[in-house]
Amino acid sequence: MKTANQPLISLRGITKRFGALTAVNGVDLDVCPGEIVVIIGPSGSGKSTLLRSINFLEEIEDGTIMFEGSEIGYLRNKHGRRHLDTPAKICALRSEIGMVFQHFNLFPHMTVLGNVMEGPLTVQRKPADAAREIALDMLAKVGLSDKRDVFPATLSGGQKQRVAIARALAMRPKLMLFDEPTSALDPELIGEVFDTIRSLGKEGMTMIIVTHQMGFAKEMADRVIFMEAGSFVAQGTPEDFFANQMEHDRIKSFLTRIL
Amino acid sequence: MKVFSGRVCKTILLFSCLLLLLVPMAHAEDYDQIFHEANEAMGSGDLPAAITLLQKIPVSKGDDNSAFVRSRMQIARLHFALKDFAAAGADAQEVLAVYPDNSEAKNFLASVQRERKSRSAVFLEDCLRFLPQLLKGSVMTITLVFCTILISPLGGLLIALGRLSSFRPVSTLCWFIIWLFRGTPLLLQLFFIYYGLPSLGITFKPFTAAVLGLGLNYSAYLGEIIRGGIQSIEHGQMEAAKAIGMTYWQAMRRVIIPQTYKRLMPPVGNEFIALIKDTALVSTIAMVELMRSADQMFNAYFNITALILAALIYLLFTTIFTFIFEKIETRAGIYENR
Repeated sequence: MKTANQPLISLRGITKRFGALTAVNGVDLDVCPGEIVVIIGPSGSGKSTLLRSINFLEEIEDGTIMFEGSEIGYLRNKHGRRHLDTPAKICALRSEIGMVFQHFNLFPHMTVLGNVMEGPLTVQRKPADAAREIALDMLAKVGLSDKRDVFPATLSGGQKQRVAIARALAMRPKLMLFDEPTSALDPELIGEVFDTIRSLGKEGMTMIIVTHQMGFAKEMADRVIFMEAGSFVAQGTPEDFFANQMEHDRIKSFLTRIL
Repeated sequence: MKVFSGRVCKTILLFSCLLLLLVPMAHAEDYDQIFHEANEAMGSGDLPAAITLLQKIPVSKGDDNSAFVRSRMQIARLHFALKDFAAAGADAQEVLAVYPDNSEAKNFLASVQRERKSRSAVFLEDCLRFLPQLLKGSVMTITLVFCTILISPLGGLLIALGRLSSFRPVSTLCWFIIWLFRGTPLLLQLFFIYYGLPSLGITFKPFTAAVLGLGLNYSAYLGEIIRGGIQSIEHGQMEAAKAIGMTYWQAMRRVIIPQTYKRLMPPVGNEFIALIKDTALVSTIAMVELMRSADQMFNAYFNITALILAALIYLLFTTIFTFIFEKIETRAGIYENR
């Protein structure tokens, strides 16, 4: 599925600190259009922080983010200190990058349809009819057309996460970030969410997925990355990764712990 | 002897005439004596004895201050005190028979008649007498409440957002406003606005001063409540809103603030019920509202019914508000029903 001409997004030396703790330590990553990258690793290794940095939910201390060939998100003032770009610019960038959270974060006061319409309606300022049409398309894509008029509180966890995916997709993002999308779900509900993500992959969506589901990593990923203590320890195709990297002690112990 | 007897007779006649002339004077002195004795009897608690004494004063015409009127009115009051309302009424009637225009007797008769009616009839009569004034006052109370309800949530929202602002001068200013208006008595604020500011050249009409005082005070309180509401919304909601590209203000308006409504209803309802009662304070700055009207009625008639009625009207208002807020709370949280 790799159409490797120019990376869609490339990270160089991404560094994020929380006080004395360095959560992400100089990470480099190139993701090509249509590529599915799965990041695994123990909790606290900086996976989520890295994803959140890509979406500017965390402001990084160092490093650059290139999106479609141009550097984005940060400016330097006249003293050479870096700071986040203007809010308008950041919002525009975020609307091109969809994000799905571990705890869904659906808007509880809006119906399912309202949740999915919200981006096109408020951010893209589309007329209600157009926004509704897009939202209905997206709901059909995640298989929840029949739930459009209910409030999120009535849905199962798996359904909530599919709505969250539809909400992100409604903005027509070029890149989707999944931050442990199934970690808050009962085991029997994980499948439906992965089915949805799988069908997105088939359509050629570029995705970075943080997950603990090794089966999914093996099956879906173009590349698996093992992250620990803020750095990438190892990466490779799923075949290579699971066959050869098992020799890597840290990865082996991690995998045996979660499998 | 005959001559003597004739002289004696003359003398006696003369004396008699003199005596006859002196009789009224002697009577006046007697009446004072009677009043004095009656007072003593009353002092020792023997009211029937006092009545018997006073009844010795005969019916007479003269001015309205005559001993007759004084005695009969005193008897009437004693009968009244003894709860013999029929007799008390008869006493007053006796005075009116001689002096049809005596206002004291008239008023007394009216109160005897009130007293002879059943208590509920009296209460009803009082209600009808006081209600028009009290309702007029209520209209002002409601107007004040509604003006404050229009102003204070907006003011409160501004103060809340200001407090949450990362721009220090704004958050400090809002902190200061809350500190000032929450930390001083509303009564003092009203006094300051209405009586104090004119000395700085700023003069308000009583109504403007009242709405300003109530509005600022309640904005400060609601500001803290709304801030609490906003901060109680899960952080993930703001992140999810930002992740689809919303600005801070879009996220606030579309996602965060609407979710606070249900959570805000109980404390805001509390505040508005307190507001209904706090409007009574503006009676001190020349506003005639419900409390002031009740006070006026109470002072004019020394009748507790005016106060009871005002209490009932306040209770009616607060009860209506309680129900309205319960309804709104249910409606606001409809999305939480599974």
